[in-house]
Amino acid sequence: MQLVLSWPIRLFIVAVLVFSLFVDGAGYVYRIANHLPLTGNVAGLPPNFGGWQLYFHRGLDLAGGTHIDYQLTNFPAGQSRADVQQRTIAVINKRVNSLNVSEPEIRGAGSNYDRITVDLAGVNAEQAQKTLGAVSKLVYTKWVADTKITNGPQAGYKPALTGLTGDDISSATATIDSTGTSWVVNITFTSSGATKFDNLTRDNVAACPGDVNASLAANCAQRHLAIWLDLTQTDIDHWEDPSYVSKVSSPYDAGCLASQTPDKVCGKLLTDPITREEIAGGNAQISGSFTQQSANDLATGINSGSLPVDLVALDVTQVSATLGAESVKLSLAAGLLGLAIVVLFMIIYYRVPGLLASLALLFYAGAVLAVFKVLPVTLTLAGITGFILSVGMAVDANVLIFERFKEEVRAGRTITAAVDAAVRRAWPAIRDSNTSTFITCVILGFIGPSAVKGFAITLGIGVVASLISSIVVTHNLLAIVLTAGGFRRPALLGVDRVRAV
Amino acid sequence: MVAEGKAQETAVVAQPPRIRRLNIIGRRNLFFAFSLLIIIPGIFSMWRNGFLLGIDFAGGTEFTVTFANHPSLAQVESAVAAENLNGSVIETSGGGYIVRYPPLNAASQVSVQHDLENRLGPMKVDQILEVGGTIAGESIEFSLLAVVAASVAILGLLAWRFHNVPGGWRAGFQFGGSALLALLHDVFILTGIFSILGKVFDLRIGEIDAFFVTAVLTVVGFSVHDTIVVFDRIRENLRVSQRLSFEQVVNLSIMQTAARSIITSFTVVLVLAAIFISGGETLKGLSLALLIGIISGTYSSIFNAAPLLVVWRRLQPLR
Repeated sequence: MQLVLSWPIRLFIVAVLVFSLFVDGAGYVYRIANHLPLTGNVAGLPPNFGGWQLYFHRGLDLAGGTHIDYQLTNFPAGQSRADVQQRTIAVINKRVNSLNVSEPEIRGAGSNYDRITVDLAGVNAEQAQKTLGAVSKLVYTKWVADTKITNGPQAGYKPALTGLTGDDISSATATIDSTGTSWVVNITFTSSGATKFDNLTRDNVAACPGDVNASLAANCAQRHLAIWLDLTQTDIDHWEDPSYVSKVSSPYDAGCLASQTPDKVCGKLLTDPITREEIAGGNAQISGSFTQQSANDLATGINSGSLPVDLVALDVTQVSATLGAESVKLSLAAGLLGLAIVVLFMIIYYRVPGLLASLALLFYAGAVLAVFKVLPVTLTLAGITGFILSVGMAVDANVLIFERFKEEVRAGRTITAAVDAAVRRAWPAIRDSNTSTFITCVILGFIGPSAVKGFAITLGIGVVASLISSIVVTHNLLAIVLTAGGFRRPALLGVDRVRAV
Repeated sequence: MVAEGKAQETAVVAQPPRIRRLNIIGRRNLFFAFSLLIIIPGIFSMWRNGFLLGIDFAGGTEFTVTFANHPSLAQVESAVAAENLNGSVIETSGGGYIVRYPPLNAASQVSVQHDLENRLGPMKVDQILEVGGTIAGESIEFSLLAVVAASVAILGLLAWRFHNVPGGWRAGFQFGGSALLALLHDVFILTGIFSILGKVFDLRIGEIDAFFVTAVLTVVGFSVHDTIVVFDRIRENLRVSQRLSFEQVVNLSIMQTAARSIITSFTVVLVLAAIFISGGETLKGLSLALLIGIISGTYSSIFNAAPLLVVWRRLQPLR
């Protein structure tokens, strides 16, 4: 009791209040001061801590966009499922980048590493599914002499499919090589792939024998094996057309392929390395002047053409931005209306204590919204509902205290003693009921379906905050205000009579 | 932070003058009967008809669209019927339509949209939901699991919190068990009424989806709130007024806390009514479910939970 009413606690409350006001309001002050619109994105808008900008993260149902749950099927035997999932996520990430989405969310899920969840703001479902679900097929080609060819990776040569494809690759990874200085990409082949690759590299070396640094071999096109994504025989048949070749031989372009029309030619080349020696055993290394970024890109590119699993879309949700904005407006209106009703009712029914509780309620709402920005909590429609309901729970604790306060006053206690006794006696009920709600929130947060999770998180945060606000803030306000003599009148306190001190 | 009341303190059991001493415990059978009057038809409807399942649980593909040419419901229905895809049409309050199909793959989603545009003119797609059978099954599973897990946790919490009343753990389980029964009462009232709304009256608002599960769990939370307040008062009164019989203590505690339960629920009902009237399509079903549940929860905590505790105490007397 003494602790709750002590100065350190009061200072703490004031500090929380100032911080919440800053987090919630600084952006609006900045907008008004600089004559900016009150909504919409503004770069560098405060609150902003060294580039870490705070703002409300809106879920897809409020921001508009597409949500897809993918099931991974046909896991290959003998590979770590966690690894396969990670590689698939990297591939999806790469494809998503071509869509230019802000803050895409791609998460692994599922009890057995067999799910991937993708959230893309501002993208429609058709476009998203085309880009993400696209099955790229990786092919290896060798080079065959053809004098009619004038340009491309190897002038005077055209590619020929080798039968070595993505199905023969089990994985590709970017790492630092044994010297510890340069980035390389390691490729591991399956056992049938290893045999095919061995034969191809043997042919390479036989066509232009010698050390790769000697000019004879270094300038020999037939010493190369090119890796492509989605290159088809039709593409190869067009190789005599120089403009076609220069387009198709440009670096692989996932975005272009996703939006492909029949007459559009997209880049499909991943790399065209020279073969140093015959490689048996199924482990190859591509080296060159890689940066970490370019090595990762190449590894992901190879993986995307050799994904060992199939992606099946389990569910797809697309929400248009207008519907999202409409939902934000409606839930804001509902929240404000609810708050106004509660405040009005509390003041009419409980007079001065009701007013104090309303102040505590505003403190509570401001603090919780600041927490949502800081953590951050992604707000969804269900999440906002959870927040509005937590306002109801915050009121409940106050009602418990005030009803008890009235009883204590009726029983003949002085105001100060009654406030004290009311808070103390109401506490076990407030504690137990909030604990039960909090436990429910924790359970829902872990096992509920995803929509329910958002609800559980905001309600859980709200329950904890309301406990602090109702016990600490309301109690302090009551203690401070009611010690001022002017308020000890029955009409202001909502009781029949007050015992003189 | 705040300690529970100590034994040497003077007890405050004076009666508020305005509240009459209603004998709730004495008329408990009447209140039980009233609850059963609603629960039994609800359970019957759930058993016979089940629920009107929303897309979250049934699976399928759903388009929320607005047509530029504002065709009538009949026109949209005949266009959808002509597609032969087992589609169904629901009119929304905003002049738009919700068209539902069994699960469609990405390609047929696109072709269905083109087809609708060809038949009914340009349209704006507000929302596409596609839920496969796997996810739908999991949602049902997780939801049931969540309700059961929450109930068990609440029973355990209450038994622990109330095992310090005379009678020890057995008394704790009497308190916890009565609260659990009151909670199940609210769950059955709510699910029963929604089954009747959805299946007997064919109203779309009676649809069961993830939001409904959220509502059920919130109701569980609120109902337990109310019940704990009454039980907490019983615990306190058992300590300070040992001259009264158990029944008298319970009745007194109900009367002392009824004002608070009704006031809290009333404020929440006001907020929910505001959401129900002004909120969007998605929030309507949710707020109706919460309204029914909160009212039921308040009723059960006053008229069922504590009377059940008395009945239990009679069947299993603790000194």
